[in-house]
Amino acid sequence: MRQLIYGILAISLLVGCAQEAKPLGWKYTSSIAVNGVNPIGIAAAADGLWLSDGDHFRVVKINEQGKITQSIDSLDRPMHIAYDYGELVIPQYGNDEVMIYNTNDSKHILPFIVFDQDSLDAPAGADINGNEIAIADFYNNRILYNKHNLDKDWWISFGKEGKADGDFYYPTDVQITQDALWVADAYNNRLQKFTKEGKHLLTIGEDQNMNAATGIYVSKEQVFSTDFENDRVLVFDLDGNFLQELKDDVNKPTDVLIQDGRLYIANYKSSSLSVYDWGEIEVLEEAQEEHHHEHHGEESEKS
Amino acid sequence: MKKIITLTMILLFGTLTVQAQKSMDAFEVQVDGLGCPFCAYGLEKKFKEFKGIKKVAIDIETGDFSFLYPSEKALQMDAVIAQVEKAGYTPNDAKITRANGIIETSSGNTTVLSKESVVVSQQLFAAGQCGMCEARIEATALALPGVTTAVWNKENQQLKVSYDKSQTTIDGIQKEIAMAGHDTKAHQATSEAYKNLPACCHYERLEQ
Repeated sequence: MRQLIYGILAISLLVGCAQEAKPLGWKYTSSIAVNGVNPIGIAAAADGLWLSDGDHFRVVKINEQGKITQSIDSLDRPMHIAYDYGELVIPQYGNDEVMIYNTNDSKHILPFIVFDQDSLDAPAGADINGNEIAIADFYNNRILYNKHNLDKDWWISFGKEGKADGDFYYPTDVQITQDALWVADAYNNRLQKFTKEGKHLLTIGEDQNMNAATGIYVSKEQVFSTDFENDRVLVFDLDGNFLQELKDDVNKPTDVLIQDGRLYIANYKSSSLSVYDWGEIEVLEEAQEEHHHEHHGEESEKS
Repeated sequence: MKKIITLTMILLFGTLTVQAQKSMDAFEVQVDGLGCPFCAYGLEKKFKEFKGIKKVAIDIETGDFSFLYPSEKALQMDAVIAQVEKAGYTPNDAKITRANGIIETSSGNTTVLSKESVVVSQQLFAAGQCGMCEARIEATALALPGVTTAVWNKENQQLKVSYDKSQTTIDGIQKEIAMAGHDTKAHQATSEAYKNLPACCHYERLEQ
């Protein structure tokens, strides 16, 4: 009897060893309908997700079911928004203003940036991180950055129209991390990474045939780019190596966010959010070796 | 007496409203280069410089852009086209319907058929990938004298075209489409023409 048990155990062990572990990656889980909203930007608050709805001149907060719980109206084409400790930053593409909306005291909407002689021209994206703020200035093909509480003497500006490293062709989104600024260089179909002094460090995704890289999100281990026209999101590691393509229920994506370990993709066209979770994924055999990776779903890489 | 005054006021208000509605010119422009909300809102932004503009509507998929503008300002076709170009886009067809009913167009199909005309229909391959490609390919074909209809299918990239054999040829149509930046089986677009296409139109090139 004992021999029989040992035999079964040995066979089980052999079978178990023979089964190769599946690679890890982002796997489509579900979609959340956000009826009446054409989301462009997405930002996370403690009690829901903020979505900018440029088509309807507003920013809305939704719950887990996609129901609108709060709305900030009468905005002028709000685009890629950002949220940090109760402050929602809203770039308004239509009137060249960027506002900080204090969500703890909703009476106050503070237009805080006035460039008297150096106006913004269609701010398309913004990010806030403590005392730091960055803006993607679409028609001026530049990034503006301030790390001193919006002190007007501390703005730096970098970038010009072009296709070389460090140039932009209509930047649409920006993210601040601990040591860098990341930019969605939308119509150059690529992402770029810079120091906080504006020095070019890295270009990502030029070999991926993207068609309008409209949104960027950087976690602690990964970089995500929306590929608007091709209905997909591309995942890279922080060195720019391609990891994964996300296409399930992705329809004209504009932004990406990780909240509580879940990946949310804002679908402009289909008025929905696609939700992906980290776990074992099926990959084609020939692609397995190339795409195999051990990254984990981490939230935004902030300082 | 009160009823007469009220009735007069209603009639007067109604007349003024009708006049106000009639005093707007309607503009319809087919724009090349829109592809996403950033582009569409950008075009809208540049047209805000036209004070008094109303009912601005943009279809991102097709590039159809329309608005109303006070007729007393007599906004001209050239100014509209210049403003589209200033925003960074390329206008294809444009049409103004004036408040008095007069219609002006910037271009369009000018084919005139005669007794000698022999109209045939044919399909040809024209490379493209989006709504903007569709608009450009069809507009390019229709602008050719002799072409009467042109319908491009995004799924199979086939252009169904009807044309008068006495005025043009299938080779001539393909050459023109290639010059607009779209590869055909007979003629390949130059690198320059391809490069000049909006980013969203950068299809996979044909190997020839």
